[in-house]
Amino acid sequence: MDKEELGTSEQKKGYSRREMLKMTALAGGGIALGASGLGTALELLGKDHSRDAEKQSMVPFFGNHQAGITTTHQSYGYLAAFDIDPSIHDVAKIMALFISWTRLAATLTQGKREANSSNKELPPIDTNEARDLGAANLTITFGLGHSFFIKNGTDRFGIAAKIPKQLTPMPRIAHETLDPGISNGDLCVQVCADVQQVAFHALRNLIKEALGTANIRWMESGFLNAAKGKTPRNLFGFKDGTANVTDPEEQKKVIWTANNEPAWMRGGTYLGYRKIKMMIETWDRDAYSDQEHVFGRKKDSGAAFGRTHEHEPVMLSKQPANSHVGLAHRTGQKIYRRAYSYTNGIQPSTGNLDAGLLFISYQNKPQESFIPMLRVLGKSDALNEYTDHVATGLFAIPSGIKKNEYFAQHLFE
Amino acid sequence: MNHQKKIIFLLFIALLLLPVISACSTNTKSGSQKTAQSTNDPVKQGTTKLKQLNNKLQAALKKNDTAAIKKYGKQINTQWLSYENGVRDRFPLQYAKIERYQQPIYAQSNLSNPDVAQMKENSEALTEQLDDLLTAKETKAKPSKQMDQAVNDYLKYADEQIDILVKTTKPFVKAVEDGDIEKAKKLYTQPRIYYERAEPIAESFGDLDPAIDARINDVDDPSKWTGFHEIERALWEKNSLKGQKKYAQKLMADVLSLQKEAKSFKLTPKAMVAGAMELLEEAATTKITGEEERYSHTDLLDLQANVDGSEAVYQAAIPALNEGHKDLAAEIDKQFQAFDKQMLKYKKSETEYENYTKLSKNEIRKISNELSKLSKLMAQTAKIF
Repeated sequence: MDKEELGTSEQKKGYSRREMLKMTALAGGGIALGASGLGTALELLGKDHSRDAEKQSMVPFFGNHQAGITTTHQSYGYLAAFDIDPSIHDVAKIMALFISWTRLAATLTQGKREANSSNKELPPIDTNEARDLGAANLTITFGLGHSFFIKNGTDRFGIAAKIPKQLTPMPRIAHETLDPGISNGDLCVQVCADVQQVAFHALRNLIKEALGTANIRWMESGFLNAAKGKTPRNLFGFKDGTANVTDPEEQKKVIWTANNEPAWMRGGTYLGYRKIKMMIETWDRDAYSDQEHVFGRKKDSGAAFGRTHEHEPVMLSKQPANSHVGLAHRTGQKIYRRAYSYTNGIQPSTGNLDAGLLFISYQNKPQESFIPMLRVLGKSDALNEYTDHVATGLFAIPSGIKKNEYFAQHLFE
Repeated sequence: MNHQKKIIFLLFIALLLLPVISACSTNTKSGSQKTAQSTNDPVKQGTTKLKQLNNKLQAALKKNDTAAIKKYGKQINTQWLSYENGVRDRFPLQYAKIERYQQPIYAQSNLSNPDVAQMKENSEALTEQLDDLLTAKETKAKPSKQMDQAVNDYLKYADEQIDILVKTTKPFVKAVEDGDIEKAKKLYTQPRIYYERAEPIAESFGDLDPAIDARINDVDDPSKWTGFHEIERALWEKNSLKGQKKYAQKLMADVLSLQKEAKSFKLTPKAMVAGAMELLEEAATTKITGEEERYSHTDLLDLQANVDGSEAVYQAAIPALNEGHKDLAAEIDKQFQAFDKQMLKYKKSETEYENYTKLSKNEIRKISNELSKLSKLMAQTAKIF
């Protein structure tokens, strides 16, 4: 009887489930087929780890929303984009990858590692550099870019009808110098942890797993630290994320998508990304008072002009013309910032530092918040004198993954 | 949820059982000793058609009709692809031999000026192999014997490559000795192909590989640097063959020593598979970056030769892969084709590819991607152990 159930589901979806799982085994190259491997996989899909999670610096992987969004900001973050391999036309292969990625993410975020094959002639399955480092609050967040649905005007995998409502290619914004090679992408993965080696290990193994189905397009890494309970500061020395909403009800309004989205996307969000190069040296030579005017906040306290405390509401009447905070507030929109700073040596032609901000924000209506804000800031932001936007991206982040399910399952099934 | 759980559980069980199921089906087949004689046998049908196309190709080659040569060369490839899986499953030994002659025919038919003499040779050899396939017995050796057979087949391939290496090094060395820069430049790439195909064998003999193939950054004392790349620098960077005679002579002597050593060389199956991976690593580290042939920029030729060398290992391992890893064999096969297709864009003749520096970063990344996919799959051939 169960066999029949499988049979009908195979017919309905037009591909063979069995084939797909077989492919997962091949693509994964890694699923330990031994008893231990099966045990781990089943255990991961079924067991609840949340009770002792906090004690061991673990963030639950399964849930209503994906982790890594409202999760306490970890110290290190990677953002990477992938493109589906040009040889892939069959959606079943993508599903197979998402199953493998889900399995791997569920394993690694809970501080576990995949077992190696008993055949020592095969390459190792886990790369081993994070072996004794635990979970370190590792989160892995998956997203889909516009080009995943529509590429060169064609519905490449027959799922364009289910495209999230607010997912578009990024429009042209004033004051940007984009490098297409490090912008956009079919898929994105954000990996964050309190130990950089743990974060890198996770991303490295996701890349290894995906090769052939999805290939890495670009990768950025960043860091951001804050004293406990305080807002972190970016490389301009100002607080970054003061206006973030912390109340779950407010977060629902700003971050999480609702019923106007396709069912598979509800409870999800959108990741807006800008790589913002900072002219560090020029900024460091700018007068203290001018820096505060550019931002519209006091540098030490983070208080808006005319206020004394960081979290007091912004007074638009007191904002200097074209200040960063003033312009952003005038849009009347809210986003949830979760940025990381980056450094990448020096620029050989000038000797200046190559550094800046991996601006990442989450919002449920990027077309009404993220993009309009960018438009306004791109045109007039006083900060533009010290910044250049060099990369961009907009990704749909589907709802959280439930136990026994895999990433974006309801998009396909 | 409960229903969902049940399905997932069943799927995992199915996953667990898959190797067992496929192993059973191969076992039942191995008992019989069929040939592909019966008229409706797909291998027989496919081969008959392929032979007809090959005859047409030979007629076109006789008439030197380039358009027809290209047409039939490509049709042969399409015909072969349409039934090669059946051949690989049932006649793995014959399969590898047919691929060896069919692939260069296809590669030539994609060039604007195909090498007619070479195509004739391959086409005739292909006829022979196809006849052999039609009468071949569908037998399966025991696993241990299968591995011995694989190693023997591979060593035979490597020996052939090294013999041609010797044959093609001779005129190159002579041109260098004669101080004929243009001729030497022209002849440089030929021996490189055969050396790069058989490199894992050369690497087994202590000092021979560095003496023949070291790059300048591989040696601590540049005055003791010898081999192909020393002469490559003289030809392309210095544009002078002054003082190169002794290097040419040493290169010839080293290549001859390699040939001698290789004749009595013993190889384990594990070392053979490791050798294939070494070739792909070489390709992925020094060839794709343009470091190997930094003066002549003929890296793409070496790159393809490394991949050809690893493909020979794969082909030798097909009988072993057919025992439970047929899907993997099919995927690897497909990926070799995808890689070759990517490279064909830059192939100008048997001994010439596009200059490495003419490729954009994006083009190189595409080749690199196909190479990585190939490497990932080839690493899984160790499943046969």
